[in-house]
Amino acid sequence: MGKQEDFVLRAIEERDVRFVRLWFTDVLGSLKSVAIAPTELEGAFEEGIGFDGSAIEGFARVHEADMLAKPDPSSFQILPWRGETPATARMFCDIAMPDGSPSYADPRYVLKRALAKAADAGFTFYTHPEIEFFVFKNKPDPGTRPVAVDDSGYFDHTAQGASQDFRREVITMLEAMGISVEFSHHEGGPGQQEIDLRYADALSMADNIMTFRTIVREVALSQGKWASFMPKPFTDHPGSGMHTHVSLFEGDENVFYEAGAEYQLSKTGRAFIAGILQHTPEITAVTNQWVNSYKRLAWGGEAPNYVCWGHNNRSALVRVPMYKPHKSGSARVELRAPDSACNPYLAYALILAAGLKGIENEYQLPPEAEDDVWSLSENERRAMGIAPLPRNLDEAIRTMETSELVAETLGEHVFDFFLRNKRAEWQDYRSQVTQFEIDRLMPVL
Amino acid sequence: MTRTRFSDPETATANLARLGDLSAGFVEQIAAVADPDTALTSLVSIAETADGPQVIEALEADPVLRQRVMIVLGTSRAIGEFWRRHPEYVMDLVGERLLDRPATEPEYREWLADVADPDALRVRYHRELAAIAARDLNAHTTFAQSSAELSDLAVATLDAALRIAAAEEADADLVRLAVIAMGKTGGHELNYVSDVDVIFVHEPVEGADEQRASAAATRMSGAIIRICGDHTAEGTIWEVDPNLRPEGKHGPLTRTLASHVAYYDRWAVTWEFQALLKARYAAGDRELAEQYLASLQPQVWKAAEREDFVPEVRRMRRRVIENIPAAHRDRQLKLGSGGLRDVEFAVQLLQLVHGRVDEHIRSPNTLEALRALTDRGYVGRRDGSALEEAYEFLRALEHRLQLFRLRRTHLVPEDPEDLRRIGRSMGYTTNPADNLVKEWQAHRRIVSRLHEKIFYRPLLEAVASLPEDGLRLSTKAAEDRLAALGFSDPKGAMAHISALSSGVRRRATIQRSLLPAMLAWFAESPQPDAALLAFRQISEELGDSPWYLRKLRDEGTGAQQFAQMLSSSTYVTDLIRRAPDAVAMLGDDEALVPRDLERLDTEMTAAARRHQVPEGAVRAVRRIRRRELCRVAMADVLGRVDVAEVGEALSAINTATIAATLRTAEATWSLEHDDRALPTRNAIVLMGRLGGHEAGYGSDADVMFVHQPLEGADLDEAKACALWIAQLIRKMLGAAGADPALEIDAGLRPEGKNGPLVRTFDAYAAYYEKWSDTWEAQALLRAEPVVGDPELCARFRALIDPLRYPEGGLSATQEREIRRIKARVDSERLPRGANPNTHLKLGRGGLADVEWTIQLLQLQHAHHVPGLRTTRTVEALEAAAEADLLSADDAHALIESWRFVTRIRNGVVLWRAKAAESMVETAADRTGLAHLLGIGQDHTEEMVNDYMRITRRARKVVERVFYE
Repeated sequence: MGKQEDFVLRAIEERDVRFVRLWFTDVLGSLKSVAIAPTELEGAFEEGIGFDGSAIEGFARVHEADMLAKPDPSSFQILPWRGETPATARMFCDIAMPDGSPSYADPRYVLKRALAKAADAGFTFYTHPEIEFFVFKNKPDPGTRPVAVDDSGYFDHTAQGASQDFRREVITMLEAMGISVEFSHHEGGPGQQEIDLRYADALSMADNIMTFRTIVREVALSQGKWASFMPKPFTDHPGSGMHTHVSLFEGDENVFYEAGAEYQLSKTGRAFIAGILQHTPEITAVTNQWVNSYKRLAWGGEAPNYVCWGHNNRSALVRVPMYKPHKSGSARVELRAPDSACNPYLAYALILAAGLKGIENEYQLPPEAEDDVWSLSENERRAMGIAPLPRNLDEAIRTMETSELVAETLGEHVFDFFLRNKRAEWQDYRSQVTQFEIDRLMPVL
Repeated sequence: MTRTRFSDPETATANLARLGDLSAGFVEQIAAVADPDTALTSLVSIAETADGPQVIEALEADPVLRQRVMIVLGTSRAIGEFWRRHPEYVMDLVGERLLDRPATEPEYREWLADVADPDALRVRYHRELAAIAARDLNAHTTFAQSSAELSDLAVATLDAALRIAAAEEADADLVRLAVIAMGKTGGHELNYVSDVDVIFVHEPVEGADEQRASAAATRMSGAIIRICGDHTAEGTIWEVDPNLRPEGKHGPLTRTLASHVAYYDRWAVTWEFQALLKARYAAGDRELAEQYLASLQPQVWKAAEREDFVPEVRRMRRRVIENIPAAHRDRQLKLGSGGLRDVEFAVQLLQLVHGRVDEHIRSPNTLEALRALTDRGYVGRRDGSALEEAYEFLRALEHRLQLFRLRRTHLVPEDPEDLRRIGRSMGYTTNPADNLVKEWQAHRRIVSRLHEKIFYRPLLEAVASLPEDGLRLSTKAAEDRLAALGFSDPKGAMAHISALSSGVRRRATIQRSLLPAMLAWFAESPQPDAALLAFRQISEELGDSPWYLRKLRDEGTGAQQFAQMLSSSTYVTDLIRRAPDAVAMLGDDEALVPRDLERLDTEMTAAARRHQVPEGAVRAVRRIRRRELCRVAMADVLGRVDVAEVGEALSAINTATIAATLRTAEATWSLEHDDRALPTRNAIVLMGRLGGHEAGYGSDADVMFVHQPLEGADLDEAKACALWIAQLIRKMLGAAGADPALEIDAGLRPEGKNGPLVRTFDAYAAYYEKWSDTWEAQALLRAEPVVGDPELCARFRALIDPLRYPEGGLSATQEREIRRIKARVDSERLPRGANPNTHLKLGRGGLADVEWTIQLLQLQHAHHVPGLRTTRTVEALEAAAEADLLSADDAHALIESWRFVTRIRNGVVLWRAKAAESMVETAADRTGLAHLLGIGQDHTEEMVNDYMRITRRARKVVERVFYE
């Protein structure tokens, strides 16, 4: 055992922790948890905790149901909403096979492999997500319309705003769990919130996002409300995205930065963006993984619908934000497609792989899109070489199916499971008769 | 004449001129050192300093001093540079100022006691280092002595550095700080250049504020590290490495004694205890250090009782012997199997395992520990002393390598000049480079089989009734050791070892000498216990066969390959158990090449002919078949044949077997019918995998029987005769017996199982003319009419060629029909519960996918592309690519998948002697398979991922080429 395991075992004694929750994430991005007593923890560090993998979405093939969850001690945190004494703690886990080798079904391992590949090239990958979500008065019953907690809009300050208290409590808990918040405000839709996390390496960030979603839900429940990361709960309001700023470092140096270049964006940065643009259609099924995700994209506004990039162009898929003078370390690009309901491990692994591919093969960055791409005509866009994003899950799946990049990055097991699962989702959705059809067709046909 | 000793005589002449008028004796002495050029260059640079002329004068006047100085200059350029900066210290080597014995630790402490600042410490350190080198190179001290001296100088230097640090620290008197030496410094076996491993421990003095005291201790520890590690004009001393401390890099630099004790009580892991083995006092508060040692060192001996000890040790061992880059493998002294670190690790492991109950073997010094292990019987006497000698030699060589530039290196140079210098410095006067390399290789050979000598050989002593000499391992100690090495049932293993090695017969003697190597090989495999058991069973079976003993006695490749079979292939092990004589093929390169069809045919026919009764004849044939299967399987396990060759070889074996059996059956019919000639001529058409030359281990033989009644023969009798023969063949080859059976499957015949087993040629012709379906034409693509009557075979080929290579290809209806059948097969034939991705035959991108795709292309195009007229899948795919019917990439994807899946399919049978329908899924099977295929036991998930990737890519091609 190393230093960190020791730290954990000591902290458990000192802080009177009675339960340790081992967290991991299934292929679709749902958090899974198994609680163990502190006495079992030493064994868990050594050998892992056995569980039946076939019960977890996307994990096990039939005959190899036995899997091991091995806690990552660096992720140890006390859960603030479970009270101080006795306390409950959590750790994220890596999933291993009975022979000890890391499981290819584990989304965390997918991201770890992608990061290791980047590390081979000398890069560290940082991300900084802006997570949007809605808070509702209560959990909507099936068949009813959700009711938001307020009617405020973007940056609105609401007197005695319940959502302010809500955000404050979420942020306090996040900070208590070592997750720094950069920024938070009311978003455009009713009851819609945005909280930006301070940048961190992609693996910690993916863990943080999983924690974030849990905290948001916990706080909502504790206040008798319901929080949802569903990408587009309202037809008439914007959806919840997870715009993510990304940057690559080589040692202490931000490789996206180059003094004097256009937008201070280095050649490497340009190639990275070119990689993202080129491969975005292939990875959209993962960054926007639900049938509902495409309703957000279709709405437009802050959500991109075309493969292009721009400087401060809020309709572009990739935005190169304004550069803050003397902060070369903060050079970064913003990806605007991912939504808050993606599996962050898989999404970040693919974004990184796409960007690296651009660097590796020295992709050329197409010209910047300066106009609002929504306002262009289809032929204008065609002339400018601006391709559309997949318009629905089916298109996204079909593009992903042919992608070697996605297969290599996810590993065959996850690639295969994900496609099968999403095909089934599309199939279910396709056969639904929607309210839209009833409202529009019934009266006239 | 002396000029010739310089490799660069011109520079040497010029340099000598710069030195003015040296005496002939002086010049002679320069030329005699290990590297005269370097020595002379260094001398010139010293002479050209302000004090230089005096130094030269002194050297001229004092031949003993001259000798000492020149030897050092001829071996170490770095010390030459030190003397250039400080010529006055050359005089340290005058007369009795240079001790002719190792200096002691108290002496060093005393000499360094008055050093007051870091630069003075660096200079002082290098003066002593020069003296140590001078004693070493002038043979006043041995390797063991000089490395002990280096360690003692190191602790004295740490002491001085601590004093300097304390002088600068305002709060120094609030805290007692001690430095514990670890690693080689602790073990009294330091190199000339090496990190010095330390651990800091502190205690606040009574009444002092704990936090302030701790902060002061941390600052002082940091200062010590800086003073010793900084690179300055006066050079650097060495890096101080404090990372063996609790919590490693992340832990606090220093902690209190109580905190150390608590850490080791609760949290420390195996290697941390192993490290403590070498702890000793280095600097600072001696009393505190002694308390530290007294509280912690006893814990070392509990390490082996820890639950995770065995897996931890296996992991550590794997790390120690992990492969080093091929470029350096032959020149590495330290890393890799048999490197210095491996020796050190092995010694420490034995100390941990046995030191628990035996305190005589607890020395922190590798050589002393090895000696003690030998004396107490844990390592055999002869092996122990040979290893000791080899270790000493390799370490001395390492010393000489490092001295030259005072750089840390473990690579023996390739440059002949460098080798010459090192060789001469080690005392080889004639042919220094060659002799050095020769000696080095000899010692390497001794160390290279380290594990079997040090770990395994003593196990035999434990069970021997007549101990060779001295003490021997107790049974308990032997079991502890076996468990530590990865045997899950040490008691059982001991019983096998005992059975194998006891007795005074020749067999026991030979097995005693072989067993250590076998055990070492078994221990690297996924199933050491099973392999050992099989070895015992086979040895008991083979008894005293002289050739077996000879094979084992040589301990060469044969024995190693034998171990590999037992530990990685149940299929081969079973075959060997049935007939142990197969072991004879191992180690014989010639014997491990699969035989071709002609040779097999001749041999089987001859063997059959020697027998009167058919059962005897077929037994003989099957015996040969078993031997040949074993040959191919062995070559396969050893990775000597690729998957196509395996298919060819196994098909040839089955073909020859069927042919010989057919001849036997025909002869039998005549015999039973008053020696009458046969009324009909028989042929057997090979189909399926067998026809495609792609048979696997244990696969059935698909065939069709055809016969041609002789002119004028009674048709009914001819038919009865052919049927009788076909049935006899099936019965005799399919019967259970000592040798593996060969099932004859005639299911691909016209009308399948409902059709008659044998037909006349004319009946086939009539059937194909009237009824033939597309699927039958497809099946005929794999038909090889090669067994039996040659003329009938040729006629049959002429009959089916137009069917399988149809003129003009397929009609649209036929194409649609094939696609439709395949689509139905895809969804229906897969067994319930089977994984559609990993089913070897019917899975996505599996064998059927690839085969149907190429078969469709063959039916469409073979009439105009002659290359497609082959029964072999890969050959046809290549021909299709050649003819641009497939892109090169597509063909590659299909071939890669077909080969990989076939390899897995064969591999599974080899590993567990039982076929698998799908890619194996249990952990044990996956580990075994990955080990067998050379992918590595730790890479099973990668193997599965590879499988899925390769087949997915193939499926993509199939979707496009076959279905569109």
